[in-house]
Amino acid sequence: MKQTYTAVILIALMVIAGNGYSSETLNQPIRMAYLQSDIHHLALWVALEKGIFKENGANVEVKGVFKAGPEIMTAFAAGELDMAYVGEAPSTTAVANKAARAVVVSQVNTEGSALVVAKNTTGINNLSDLRGKTVAVPGHSTVQDFLLRRALRENGIDLKQVNIIVLKPPEMIGALRTGQIDAFIAWEPYPSKADTLSVGRNMATSKEMWPGHPCCVLISDHGFLVGHPEDVKAVVKSHVQATDYIHRNPDEAVKIGVKYTGMDETTVRQAMQNVHYTYELSIQGEKEYVQFLSELGYIHLDDPDKFVDYFINPDILKGILPQ
Amino acid sequence: MIWKRLLPPVVLLLVWQGLSASGIIPAYKLPSPVAVAAGLADLIQTGMPPGHLLHVHIYYSLQRVLWGYALALLTAIPLGLLMGWSHTIRGLIEPLVEMIRPIPPLAWIPIAILWFGIGSKSAAFIIFLGAFFPILLNTISGVHSIDPVLIEAARVLNASRRFIFLKVLVPGAIPSILTGMRIGIGIGWMTLVAAEFTGVKQGYGLGYMIMTARDIQRSDEIIAGMLVIGIIGLGIDACLKTVERQTIKWR
Repeated sequence: MKQTYTAVILIALMVIAGNGYSSETLNQPIRMAYLQSDIHHLALWVALEKGIFKENGANVEVKGVFKAGPEIMTAFAAGELDMAYVGEAPSTTAVANKAARAVVVSQVNTEGSALVVAKNTTGINNLSDLRGKTVAVPGHSTVQDFLLRRALRENGIDLKQVNIIVLKPPEMIGALRTGQIDAFIAWEPYPSKADTLSVGRNMATSKEMWPGHPCCVLISDHGFLVGHPEDVKAVVKSHVQATDYIHRNPDEAVKIGVKYTGMDETTVRQAMQNVHYTYELSIQGEKEYVQFLSELGYIHLDDPDKFVDYFINPDILKGILPQ
Repeated sequence: MIWKRLLPPVVLLLVWQGLSASGIIPAYKLPSPVAVAAGLADLIQTGMPPGHLLHVHIYYSLQRVLWGYALALLTAIPLGLLMGWSHTIRGLIEPLVEMIRPIPPLAWIPIAILWFGIGSKSAAFIIFLGAFFPILLNTISGVHSIDPVLIEAARVLNASRRFIFLKVLVPGAIPSILTGMRIGIGIGWMTLVAAEFTGVKQGYGLGYMIMTARDIQRSDEIIAGMLVIGIIGLGIDACLKTVERQTIKWR
C-alpha cells in the first residue's frame, strides 16, 4: 500500500514539475496575450490588422484574451505565453513575487484610466468625498488599484476609510447604475462607456491623479527573450511602428478600436483622448511602482534598484529607435 | 492504527518537501509545505489583502453559508416531506425541480448579482441553490423508504393524517434527511468559495481571499487558503456526522 501511495504521489508531482516552459518552440508562433476591450492595447490590434507583424517577420498568434492583468501573469507562470500587453503593476507584482519570469521590453501607453462616479450624484466631487464610500477596482495590484490608493494617500485619506472592492470592469457600469458602488476606477474605454451610457461621469482622469503615469507595457518571458531575441525584436519594432500609426492615422485607429472593443465609435474616440500611446520606457515610473507596491505589502524586495534593472530592459528598444 | 492513517499524508509532505527543496518542483508552481505553512502564518497575522485577516474572512464565509444553508433547510425539508407524502404535489413540482436541478449553482452567479447585488445575499443564494436539491431529494427518498406496513398499521389504528405525517413519516425520514444535509452543506461550502470569486462588497470571504492572493501572485497563500477551506469543510462534516450518530442511537 505504501509503495502504491508513494508512486501515485511521485507521478502527480512529476506532472506538476514537468509541464513548464520548454525551449522547443523553434519556428513556432509567438504566443501573445492582451486584455479584453482594453483600448490601451490598440497598438497590438493595429499591428495585427495592418499586417505590421508579418512585415517584420514576427509570427504572432493571439493565445489568450484576459479579463485582468493578474490572469495574464498566471498564464506566464504556467509557461503558456511568450509575450503580452499588460499593466505595469500586475507584471511588477508577479515578477517581484517570483511567480513569473518576465521583462518589460517596451512601454505601451501612459495615462488612460479614470475614476467614475454616478452621473446624478451630488455628494462626491473630489477625492476627499470618497471617505466611507465603496469604490471598485479591477483587481488588487492592478494599475488602477495603484492609482486610486496613491491618489487617496496624496489627499491625506486613510486607506481604511474607503471600502475598496474588486469587480471586473464589464460589471462595474451595472454596479454603479444600481447604486451598489459609489465609484469605480477602470481602464478606458469603460469610463467613457459609462459616460456615453449616461450612467457615470469622470470625476478624475488618471492624468490628473498622476500626470504621465506609466500604464501598460509590452513584456516578454525571460526564457523567450534569451532564446529568441530576434522574435522579440521583430515584435517591438512592429509595436513602435503601430504606435506611430495610431498618431498618424487616428481615424483608422478608431475603426480598429471599435472592432476589437465592440463598443461604439463615440465611446472609442472619447476613450482614446485620455490615452497617451508611447513606447518610451520610464525607469523612474517603475521605481515609483516598486516603492508603493512594497509599502502596500504586496511585494517584498531586498534590492529594489536591482529588480528595476532586471525588470525594465530598454536594450531592444534602443536597438530599434534612431539615436 | 492511527499511524497507518497518518502515514500517507506524512509521506506526501516529505516527498513534496524533498522535491521542492531539490528544485524539481519550481516554487512558483507549487510552494513547499514549509512555504505554505509560512503563507498560513502570513494570512493569520498580516492578512490578504494586507490588513484583511484570516479569521474575518472565515467569519464572513461561514455567515454566508449558514444563511444559505438555513434557507435551504427551511424550504427543502418541508417541501420534500410534502412531495414524499402526496403524489399530487410531487407530480406538480417534480418537473420543475428536475429542470432546475441540473443547472450548476455557479451558472446562476450573473443573475444572482443582478437580483441580489454583489455581496453576501448573492453568495447565500448560490449556496442555497447548491444545498437545496440534495436535501430535497434525500428527504423524498427518506419518506419513500418508510415501510408501508408502518403507515398501514397506523391507519388501521385509526391515526389521523396529521398524526401519521408527524409521528411516522417525519421520524422515519430523518436518517435520510441527515444524509441529505451532509451532502448539502458539502456542496454549499464548495459553491461558496467559487461564489466569492466574483467579488464581494464586504471585501471579506475565503474565496475572495484566494482570488486576491492570486492577483498578488502569492501561491503559498493560495494553497494555505485552500487548506483552511478543506479543514473547515472537514469540521462541518464531522459535526453533522456526530449528530447523525446520535440520532441513529436514539432510534
